[in-house]
Amino acid sequence: MLFVSGIISIRFFHIFLSTFTMTKLMEWLLGLSLIGVLWSIVTFDLLDLRISDQYLQVAWPLPIYLLVAFGCYSLAVVGYRVATFNDCETAAKELQEQIQEAKRDLQKKGLHF
Amino acid sequence: MATWTDRAVGMGLVVFSILLFTYYSIWVIVLPFVNSDHAIHHYFLPREYSVILPVVAALVLVLFIGGFITVVLWKNKQKKKVQ
Repeated sequence: MLFVSGIISIRFFHIFLSTFTMTKLMEWLLGLSLIGVLWSIVTFDLLDLRISDQYLQVAWPLPIYLLVAFGCYSLAVVGYRVATFNDCETAAKELQEQIQEAKRDLQKKGLHF
Repeated sequence: MATWTDRAVGMGLVVFSILLFTYYSIWVIVLPFVNSDHAIHHYFLPREYSVILPVVAALVLVLFIGGFITVVLWKNKQKKKVQ
């Protein structure tokens, strides 16, 4: 019983090895875990690196800092695109006509607004 | 050209995010290298808040979104009951 399950798992392992392609998800997870390991080593002093106090003070909030920085960047991009979005007169008119058409069609079929 | 309200809101967001980024960067990255008796430290809260405040803000945001979804689903259920 154990022998058969061992053979099957080795078979799956070989198939996995021969057909392995790294997906984007795995790439991101690998990168994030690498960064996480480096940060933990610095913050929790796991390798006795004796980093000076000021650099330690910068290191420990770094993950949150990167998140806040990314949030600020996203907010800025959204704000900028809202500010520079050009009006599309024809598209707006077309959209309004389609909305009216859809409303009439649905009301005919019995839907109440 | 987007409407002037759109442009005002958009530019406001850009300016706000730049200010927030600058303040937060100085707080986290620049201050540890500044003498502890320099006057600039008066303008910044103690360092622990540089982690606590974003976490609290994120929690508030998640609660707000969850509450909003709850209210919308609730109203939808009420409407279905009436129909």
